[in-house]
Amino acid sequence: MRISPQKAGIALISPAIFLICSLLVYPVLYGVWLSFFKKHSFFPAQKFVGLQNYWYLFTDQEFWMSVWYGTVYSVSTIVLQIVVGVIAALIVNESFKGRNFVRGAILFPYVIPTVVAIILWKWLLNNQFGLVNYALMFLGVVDDPISWMGKDHIMASLILISVWEFFPFVVLSVLARMQSIPPVLYEAARVDGAGAVSRFFHVTLPQLRNVLFVVILLRSIWMFTKFDTVWLLTQGGGAEKYIRTLPVYAYKRTFMYYQAGLGATLAVIMFCILIVATAVYFKLFRREEEL
Amino acid sequence: MSASNSFFSLRGQIIYWLAAVLLILTIFPFIWMVSTSFKPLKEIFVFPPHLMPQNGTLENFARLFEQTRFMTYFKNSVFVSTTAVFLTMIIASMGAYSLTRFKFYGREKIASLILFTYMFAPIMIVIPFYVLIRKIGLANTHMALILAYTAFCLPFSIWLLRSFFQSIPISLEEAALIDGAGRIRAVVYIILPLALPGIIATGIFTFILAWNDYIFVRILITSDELKTLPVGIADLYNATVIDWGMIMAGSMLITVPVLIFFVFIQRYLIAGWGAGGLKG
Repeated sequence: MRISPQKAGIALISPAIFLICSLLVYPVLYGVWLSFFKKHSFFPAQKFVGLQNYWYLFTDQEFWMSVWYGTVYSVSTIVLQIVVGVIAALIVNESFKGRNFVRGAILFPYVIPTVVAIILWKWLLNNQFGLVNYALMFLGVVDDPISWMGKDHIMASLILISVWEFFPFVVLSVLARMQSIPPVLYEAARVDGAGAVSRFFHVTLPQLRNVLFVVILLRSIWMFTKFDTVWLLTQGGGAEKYIRTLPVYAYKRTFMYYQAGLGATLAVIMFCILIVATAVYFKLFRREEEL
Repeated sequence: MSASNSFFSLRGQIIYWLAAVLLILTIFPFIWMVSTSFKPLKEIFVFPPHLMPQNGTLENFARLFEQTRFMTYFKNSVFVSTTAVFLTMIIASMGAYSLTRFKFYGREKIASLILFTYMFAPIMIVIPFYVLIRKIGLANTHMALILAYTAFCLPFSIWLLRSFFQSIPISLEEAALIDGAGRIRAVVYIILPLALPGIIATGIFTFILAWNDYIFVRILITSDELKTLPVGIADLYNATVIDWGMIMAGSMLITVPVLIFFVFIQRYLIAGWGAGGLKG
């Protein structure tokens, strides 16, 4: 008995297609549908309300605050991650003793569970017993302990923790590309009398353009939709209000106010923002010969 | 680039110092966690703090095992993660093989759809996902988690394996087929060994995602005895009096399996990273 290649191919891909369609694509479409309903998160009752959920959010101050906090959070963490990541990649691209160990150690913040990263930093930033405050006071930078989890500093703490957690991704992607830059380019630049800084801007950076294009795109999508790092920092208490980004707001609406319809609306809005932002990004930065 | 940097040149000096700063920033927090987990309560809150425990103790670990369901969470995590890993490896290998070896209608469209779903973030699907899972009666089961992780890791895994399979020449398989081997034997003896690094990489990525996941467990699981480690540990933190020693001990124990995994298979991990990376 022979099975036609056509049938065999479809048979082999179908489990994957079934799972992806039923568990990823269908929920997204179902979410769009839910966004037109007023629906309790637990009870089956639902009522069609048209665009009311969207209108509600449009006039909701909390929503606009979360858009603002979300933007501050994603833009600042992405910029810092890229800067720190590229600098770190430049360092570990140099040859020195113990380089492989440092390269391995750099990945550490990225592979540990987020909950551990958060707990670690909450302990380091603890205002009474935290090491960071102790070090700052010991060095005479501040006189009184800083309340890192208080409303004035919580966004800064969140950004610091997020950059720490995610910059290794940038290092790995960029480092792989750096290693494939032909050394002859550097030699030519050196012959032309270019210093280290000039070599970085005229040789390294243009070569990294493509990889940075992809890394910035992926990191932006992931930072904009980041839930666990932001949520776990306060778990809904303390100064939560001051870092309530869109994902956290969607979660709160659904699982604390039980407004599944409104939660789904927020998810749809996030999705639309991402699609528009991605399209603009491609239009602005993608050149024909790339990718 | 230039020859190895000597510690004694100015350039070498700068590089060593920068590398040291980088090393401290990345692993010092972990060392501090390990140190705290072995400190008795009195020492944890001593001011100024000591870097290493003066009187090392295991009491934090003892409390963790006696007063919490740490072992239950641990078993749940192991079960859910390993099942998701095997499911993902099997389904993704089949899918990637199909996408590279068979021609059928809509093949390229399917490949682009898969790449597109790679952009989905958990928060965008978790709300309708939750409503759906409740409808089909899978809420509060490990099955729901396994399905969620498998579905989430499939796009990346298929994409990664597709590039692995593409790099294996079809002529190798054809030679085996001409020699009289069946398609299945050709796959088992020729393709799978060559694609093994890719398959292992997808396994690692799925494992790390499943082992570290917080949001799906938080939303889909309500019974304490079904929770996995990240939610279990996060809930310890919600107690009125925070037992830092015990939480650090627990955090260390969740991290260790990931680190062991990671150290042993770092080269596969890097293979996967080049192809697009793990999400998150």
